[in-house]
Amino acid sequence: MSASVSSDSLRQFSRGIAGALLVAAVWELCARGLDLPAYVLPSVSSILAGLASDAGSLLAAARFTAAESFTGYAIGCLAGMTAAVLVTMIPSARSVVVPLATAINSVPVVAYSPLVLLWFGIGMASKIVMVAIAVSFTIFLSTIAGLDRVDRKSVDLIRSFGADRFTVLWRLRLPTALPLVIAGMRVSTVRSVIVAIVTEMLGAYGGLGWVIYQAVLQVDFVKVWAAIIVASAISLAFFGAISFVERRYVFWR
Amino acid sequence: MFRRRTLFAAFAAAAFSLQGLSPASAQDLVNASLRLKWLTQAQFAGFYVALEKGYYKEEGINLTINPGGPNLLTENLVATGADTFGLSGGTDSVFAARDKGLPIVCIGVAHQVTPFVFVSHKDGAVQSVADFKGKTATTWFTGANHVLSAMLSKAGTSPSDVDIQPQQVSVTPFVDKQVDIVTATRYNELYVINERVGKDNLNLFVPEDSGVSFPRDTLIVSEQTATEKPELVTKFLRASVKGWKEAFANEAEAIDIIMKISPTLNRAQQEFMLKEVKTLMTAGKASTDGLFSIDKDAVGSANKLLAEYGVISKPVDLDAAFNASFIESIPAEERRL
Amino acid sequence: MSGTATLAANLPVVSTGRIGVVLRPVLWLLLALVVVEAVVVVFGIRTYYLPRPSVIASTIMATPGAYLAGLWRTFLETALGFVAGSMFGVVMAVVFHRWQTLRELFFPLFIVSQTIPVIAFGAVVVLWFGNTLFAKAVISFYISFLPVTVNTMLGFSAVDPRQVQLMRSFGASDAQILRRLYLPAALPQLFVALKLASSLALVGAIVGEWFGDTTGLGVLLLQAMYNENVAGIWATIVVSACLGMGLYGAVSYAERRIVFWGGEQ
Repeated sequence: MSASVSSDSLRQFSRGIAGALLVAAVWELCARGLDLPAYVLPSVSSILAGLASDAGSLLAAARFTAAESFTGYAIGCLAGMTAAVLVTMIPSARSVVVPLATAINSVPVVAYSPLVLLWFGIGMASKIVMVAIAVSFTIFLSTIAGLDRVDRKSVDLIRSFGADRFTVLWRLRLPTALPLVIAGMRVSTVRSVIVAIVTEMLGAYGGLGWVIYQAVLQVDFVKVWAAIIVASAISLAFFGAISFVERRYVFWR
Repeated sequence: MFRRRTLFAAFAAAAFSLQGLSPASAQDLVNASLRLKWLTQAQFAGFYVALEKGYYKEEGINLTINPGGPNLLTENLVATGADTFGLSGGTDSVFAARDKGLPIVCIGVAHQVTPFVFVSHKDGAVQSVADFKGKTATTWFTGANHVLSAMLSKAGTSPSDVDIQPQQVSVTPFVDKQVDIVTATRYNELYVINERVGKDNLNLFVPEDSGVSFPRDTLIVSEQTATEKPELVTKFLRASVKGWKEAFANEAEAIDIIMKISPTLNRAQQEFMLKEVKTLMTAGKASTDGLFSIDKDAVGSANKLLAEYGVISKPVDLDAAFNASFIESIPAEERRL
Repeated sequence: MSGTATLAANLPVVSTGRIGVVLRPVLWLLLALVVVEAVVVVFGIRTYYLPRPSVIASTIMATPGAYLAGLWRTFLETALGFVAGSMFGVVMAVVFHRWQTLRELFFPLFIVSQTIPVIAFGAVVVLWFGNTLFAKAVISFYISFLPVTVNTMLGFSAVDPRQVQLMRSFGASDAQILRRLYLPAALPQLFVALKLASSLALVGAIVGEWFGDTTGLGVLLLQAMYNENVAGIWATIVVSACLGMGLYGAVSYAERRIVFWGGEQ
């Protein structure tokens, strides 16, 4: 059983790599074949060369951005889930909190960025706050949706055995909600890195967004793309980690 | 299916705009576009006045004005042909673009002197450039930081002795005295600081006083346009000069035109901006030779400064990067206010 | 199937009066506004940090035309991008579900595509798509389709394979199985994603307007931000919130209608 699982994931992995190589090859051919200048589309090979020559500064920037995203992500997930559980436990709060959360969530996060920069300065704190805001609302809404998926008959059944509210939550609602919660967490990983980068572009002391902003102004497009690739790599690793957890603990059935 | 079709349409549209020659209108006007460095505001009033009054049409140009935005590089859009003309960042961005091999040429310089100053609180510890030592300054890391470094060096202070930090969109840290020195454009940030701190409570440090000059707001075209359509370039410049003279002669009307396009702007701030821009555009060489003059000495000193600080790999060939022949083909008396 | 049925049965419409559901949040909101107004006045908070709600309202009322024009323009971009993105998202989910090889080759790249911050490519976007409404819709589309694909696939994976075999044994075609079994089963998940996608599409439109435009909420936001017009920033946030809530409400309304209808089958 376990052998077939690992050969399965090996095939998936190699196919994923094959797909990526395919796209890279087409890209390289386009850039070289059409003789595109770097300010339109630099070739993959020149980006890789730029990646190697700027490795030190890019790595430092990546560490900066990753720290912001992870911290904000963790805070956002915790806040979102806690709020969702509380709201489910206290039904009277629900009719107020959910529409309000929906309203706040429907404002694009970028709209808050000037205010957050004003309130929290241009250090790491403002990025962490932005990521936490973006992540928490997504997690809150998907957790609520997940907790609501429980079959009323199951609730009645478990209640009839004398289970209290917490038991219903712990035994029934949370396990049922888990797939949706984790799906929300998975989508949020990518968002957290992007929000950190976008906020950095508006003002920061370091990080990939800052590198990109400076590189655009200095007309260094190879560096822009190199920074983008590093950003993608962080998001992918993050996404992969959450997917791994998901496969391990949710789809055990 | 949907995606493929829309993508195709997009490429077709892009191809059209690349040529910049989609079917001309009935009067045989040539289509062209001007990409600004930022959103619509009084800083660009002259171009909008010229458009509104039909000066471009009189020269046979059907002009579209495209605003800029963060992470949009005017040089890039002009080099690729997406836009015909550009009002780009300044001598700094022209040099950076030439250094990276972008085929663009500067055909006129709007702000003849450095448009930004460094500001400190009058009741604070910073009263002269020498006082910057050991203090915290914020500035833009896009050229202004090198101007600051050069000013410090000339005052005998090592730039490493000053805590120089990137400046965010807000001047609030300076207003709240969390930083000692802030960078401000005369036409924008300075207005906000004046409003919040009071004009009389500020010290201004002008780069020119330290012998550093950094002309900004440059008009650019691609090398291709410059060689293939020189008459289009001259016509565009003539109409633009006319628009700016009109804007300066009748400021209230110029502000009306800007406010009509962007009604949420603060009128008082826009009026201040236009006045400051007038000072910047008529300073130095422009006071004798007229608007958009290219002062090769000032440009050359900026060139040397950037090469010295390693922003560009080597000094750029000035004559290839700055072509004054177009603007000089318009007589000086026509360009003077 | 039972999942969709309970979801429909749990809807608040059944339990509470419609007017109460609508009015209560509005009353709370009004109360909250009054509290904020009082706090700002009592504690003397400066406008740079938090303007009074009445100041924000008067900012909007000073130039209502500009905010309306921005709202309309941004709405068009968002709606175009959202509809295209959702359709593309569902289609890709079907494709990836049907052809495993394609999924394994390209699904990882879909995720990679989403890790690229569009804002880094202002120039490329303008270069490829010009300065049109369409360019903004493309960005909206680009950042809204992935959640739809992910959730639809998740919904598909919850279908019991025995049911598929059963339908097949009755001679049902792939298209019939898709329409009768997979799509209804994925609907609840799909709508969770659509709600998310609607707000993402709005983000896309607003960020898209940062690439050189004259109208739109993104332009107003940028202008207010760089002129340090905090009341203007808030005014734009309020208008964006109204647009976002409207979109969310529209998707929820569709969900109530369609999922309910799907559950009845």
